[in-house]
Amino acid sequence: MPENTASPENTVSPDATASPKSTADAAATASGGRRTLRLGVAGPVGTGKSSLIATLCRELSGELAMAVVTNDIYTDEDARFLRSAGVLPGERIRAVETGACPHTAIRDDITANLDAVEDMEEDFAPLDLVLVESGGDNLTATFSPALIDAQIFCLDVAGGGDVARKGGPGIGRADLLIVNKSDLAPYVGVDVERMVADAERARDGRPVLALSRTDEPSVKALCDWVRGVIEAHRSGAHTPQDPGPMAPHSHGPEDDGGHGHGHGHGHGH
Amino acid sequence: MSTDTGALGALLLADARLPTGGHAHSATLEAALEAGLPEERIPDYIRARLATVGRTEAAAAVVALRAARDPEPGAEPDYGPVQEALAARTPSRALREASATLGRGLARLARRVDADHPAVRALPTAQAATPGLRALRPVVLGALAAVFGMTAEQTARAALYEDAQTVTAAALKLRPGDPLTAVRWLLDLSPRIEESVRAAAATDVPHDIPAHSAPLIDRWAEAHARETRRLFVA
Repeated sequence: MPENTASPENTVSPDATASPKSTADAAATASGGRRTLRLGVAGPVGTGKSSLIATLCRELSGELAMAVVTNDIYTDEDARFLRSAGVLPGERIRAVETGACPHTAIRDDITANLDAVEDMEEDFAPLDLVLVESGGDNLTATFSPALIDAQIFCLDVAGGGDVARKGGPGIGRADLLIVNKSDLAPYVGVDVERMVADAERARDGRPVLALSRTDEPSVKALCDWVRGVIEAHRSGAHTPQDPGPMAPHSHGPEDDGGHGHGHGHGHGH
Repeated sequence: MSTDTGALGALLLADARLPTGGHAHSATLEAALEAGLPEERIPDYIRARLATVGRTEAAAAVVALRAARDPEPGAEPDYGPVQEALAARTPSRALREASATLGRGLARLARRVDADHPAVRALPTAQAATPGLRALRPVVLGALAAVFGMTAEQTARAALYEDAQTVTAAALKLRPGDPLTAVRWLLDLSPRIEESVRAAAATDVPHDIPAHSAPLIDRWAEAHARETRRLFVA
């Protein structure tokens, strides 16, 4: 139904994920030589993370060997949603308990998720792509690079057009920022182009994609981005980045001059 | 690594911030409350664990420490006997698997701390003795205690303290309550903890690990494993 309301910059390129050299201890990232790309999807509750993952499975499972690990407050809601969507064989979708701390499970103590990812990679070898869905948390929750190689942060237009301006590690420095449910924009009074432009300003040129599962060009752009990251991961050109636990330059709504938001301090904290 | 790490190691292994997966466990408290345990009896629940499964696990950790520290002359450490003895004393499959999950997280830490230490290199001997079951948490705890140079008492106390604090931390996620009250519960139980520390520290060989069972905990854990709506692994 709706036209693609995304800005022209929406042709996202994985090259844009190349960012300053990480100072992280090399041992803290585990991507060296591994075929499988571990891709995290984070973002607040209800922004469409599960739906985004269902879309990726539907579009890519024909060409890529895939598996999904979900985190939920109450265990397996998302896993059941994905299984019922029929986009992947049920055994390739696993839920992980997070002890009511989805934030902890993707950053401070990644043990349960890492166990599940390693099990999947062993059980279904060789896998091309493992998706890890964070339990919906707040704007500050991002994945540790010790768990994933790249991450998508998911917002939606229904959460309000000003959310992208608020910044934070996921908005500022995830490998890809999704502004989801772009088809709903007219109904919630949000200007998607402006929201995308706000996000781009907060991201120092990292890619932003306005997405609707009913908008084919945007779905294709998402899939092309994933293919590009897999390629960069395999060639060794991609280095996992930590968006950081903090928003380094977040000065509140009054400081809205379009500068000073997250200027690449995503390392060394 | 410095050799004077025993005291610090004891604190590390008892620290809930240790990133080895413990935050997703409730020591079966979630299932106990689900089955109707009144919240005012949570301190009794901790006490019951300290006298039963907690004591068995602490004794196993001490025996694993001794296996790591004093292997047969000329041989590498062998965790097979202690792993078998503990598995045999853990009737619930769900609890064996939960313990193996926690052991897996601790083993990842052990490899990062000192992969070449004989106590760490020998960890596969545990799973080899119980095919399909990874090294159980107390076994890996004993191995790490050997790496850190901890005493038997420190090892037993770390195991028991961690068990009790797993319950108190989960309690705050499962029922309303004042976090400071949970600290009080623990302090009030300190004579019980020390009693169990002494008993566990006196354990020498796998045969001597007590087979304290808590059938209700086993039953709750088995029921929990079949639930679809869980906050905690076990």
